[in-house]
Amino acid sequence: MDPQLREVAQLFERFKAAFVRKDFNTCATLLTQLKVLLTKFPSLPPSFQPTPNASEELTIARQIYEHAVVLSVKIEDQEAFERDFSQLKPYYTDTCNIIPSSPEEYPILGLNLLRLLVQNRIAEFHTELELLPPSALENPCINHAVELEQSFMEGAYNRIFNARQAVPHETYVYFMDLLAKTVRDEIAGCSEKAYDYLTINDAKKMFMFSSDQELSQYISEEHPEWEIRDGCVFFQKAKESQPWKEIPSFQLINQTLSYARELERIV
Amino acid sequence: MKKPSAADSEATQVSTAPSATTTTTTTTTTTTTNLKEIQSLIETGAYSKEVRRISRAVRLTIVLRRQLSYGLISGFFSRVLPVNSEAYKRLVSYVPKDSGSDEMDVDAAPTTQPPAKHVLPEMEIYCYFLVLLFLIDQKNYDLAKVCASDCITRLKNINKRTVDVLASRIYFYYSLVHELTNSLADIRGNLLALHRMATLRHDELGQETLLNLLLRNYLHYNLYDQAEKLRSKAPRFEAHSNQQFCRYLFYLGKIRTIQLEYTDAKESLLQAARKAPSTARGFRIQCNKWAVIVRLLLGEIPERTVFMQKGMKTALTPYFELTNAVRVGDLELFRTVADKFASTFASDGTRNLIVRLRHNVIRTGLRNISIAYSRISLADVATKLHLNSDTPAADAESIVSKAIRDGAIDATIDHANGWMVSKETGDVYSTNEPQAAFNSRIVFCLNIHNEAVKALRFPPNSHKEKESAEKRRERQQQEQELAKHMAEEDDDEF
Repeated sequence: MDPQLREVAQLFERFKAAFVRKDFNTCATLLTQLKVLLTKFPSLPPSFQPTPNASEELTIARQIYEHAVVLSVKIEDQEAFERDFSQLKPYYTDTCNIIPSSPEEYPILGLNLLRLLVQNRIAEFHTELELLPPSALENPCINHAVELEQSFMEGAYNRIFNARQAVPHETYVYFMDLLAKTVRDEIAGCSEKAYDYLTINDAKKMFMFSSDQELSQYISEEHPEWEIRDGCVFFQKAKESQPWKEIPSFQLINQTLSYARELERIV
Repeated sequence: MKKPSAADSEATQVSTAPSATTTTTTTTTTTTTNLKEIQSLIETGAYSKEVRRISRAVRLTIVLRRQLSYGLISGFFSRVLPVNSEAYKRLVSYVPKDSGSDEMDVDAAPTTQPPAKHVLPEMEIYCYFLVLLFLIDQKNYDLAKVCASDCITRLKNINKRTVDVLASRIYFYYSLVHELTNSLADIRGNLLALHRMATLRHDELGQETLLNLLLRNYLHYNLYDQAEKLRSKAPRFEAHSNQQFCRYLFYLGKIRTIQLEYTDAKESLLQAARKAPSTARGFRIQCNKWAVIVRLLLGEIPERTVFMQKGMKTALTPYFELTNAVRVGDLELFRTVADKFASTFASDGTRNLIVRLRHNVIRTGLRNISIAYSRISLADVATKLHLNSDTPAADAESIVSKAIRDGAIDATIDHANGWMVSKETGDVYSTNEPQAAFNSRIVFCLNIHNEAVKALRFPPNSHKEKESAEKRRERQQQEQELAKHMAEEDDDEF
């Protein structure tokens, strides 16, 4: 075995041991060392040189980055997630001829989709989705993210809350919690427009709070304009847009003048 | 998608053609005369540095395409290139001698004319172009690949504006051959290098062509992210070729659709469909398919006439049924249609878009309900929308509330009774809406006029020199030919 490869493998074993112990600080230090060592392998992206150890090197590098992504979720660092994921991505897209695909591929891709959803980067979400083959959509991890996006678009929010109980992978919980916050804000925004008032009990159920205190705290922090009286939450309705009382004369004059100018140019 | 199929069908027609032409000597002689005309065009074009002559030669070639044969091409080579030049030797190697049957009647040609003394770069590239066309029509893709790569190496050393027209055609066929053999990913680096080269040389036609080829290359592998990054950073200028511009608009529309910029996407796709020549049927069908979906996603319902256009009816049927399902707002019907045509949608690459449409179906259904009923229970809403879930009423409630927030319907929810109460719709003419609609339409019309004025083209220096009668006659004749060939060229380009 190549000495460099052995060194990486040993370090990676230590990393994994620390990972199991949940000693994330050690993990982070080891990971930095590993990444530096990986730069010495010529077979890795972007050069892809066909060295004799190429397949072992690629496999171990892919595993390291997969762990890096999961680690970033554990330490709740979204920026690190994005960085590690973009380093990992070429292994999924460009190495299929050299090494067999990883069992972790779909869980991690699904995790990334979820992250994009949480960060409300819907355009990128769809761009990533287009890259997946049709068969991938049947994978529970991918499907989970796709269905969440649909429910989110439709407004079927309680389906999202139910989905939290049925996460396909334990790492998903972190993003699902973040998503729950986003969803609560969405529900609040919708309720404000859709209802005149709600009883406290209904509001509690709808915003998924377990106690009245949490609800009133949420209201005072996020929506101080709502009013709680007689056991009901009253939403201050935005004033209905009244029919125009006065003619927007300035705008009209401008428009008419521009028509005149353009018409003159034609004639 | 549509290009290989179009080229394939064309190629199948062509493959039968050579045997037919050899039997009729008259066609061969006219082809030979045409080739001579092309030769003189290129030569004068090269000496007088007139790009339009070269483009005319290219157009004439497209017409000849179906009559080309081994004999004709090698005859042409020995006439225009010195026999002992390196270019001649290289080019001749791409023309296999095996079909000797049709050689005798053409080989007589070179003896009547003295062979050329030196190699014009334009002529050399043109010869490559001719061989490439022929090899593709013969489905000899491997040899065509070698030939194209060879020509591109040669092109890198030639920096002449008169070659640009030919070069852009070569790039196009270079990419086409790789697409036909499913190896587009391999040439991406080369195309990028060529694009860079064209930019440095201010070869705008080349840039335009190569940018489209690159976009096509990326989109072939669904690499929308990379495509958009390239597109937004590549230099843009006024389009030189209508065909390339149409393609660009189509790719742009696709990218924007994926990135949820539906309004812009719709504009690009409709413009592409409208600008494309009527003979480019496959291209227009593709544009229409995407445009229909984008309009549905925007909440518009395309008119029936869109689906009834001549020659597109069958191709658009799946999309017609889809539109119908969205229009009615029936989730059940929508699901059936999506399943029924799943394979069509998958091959069109629109499957994921159709998944997005589900949301629109619900919206339309909801809007219909809110117009029809002044008050309806949420459980009934759920049944009418065919929401399949364990808690239909709760689902319906949150869906309705989101629709209210987004302004899709004007209603309130009575939570205690579980009702949705629609509000009376106000008089739209008491608002500023009509004025705004009127304004946007007028602006649109005025813009069309201004664009049309801008698009008028005049020949360079026409105001300086008065043309003589003879020149005028020549010019008019050329214009007529141009108009004639335009239609035929369009046919080939897509």
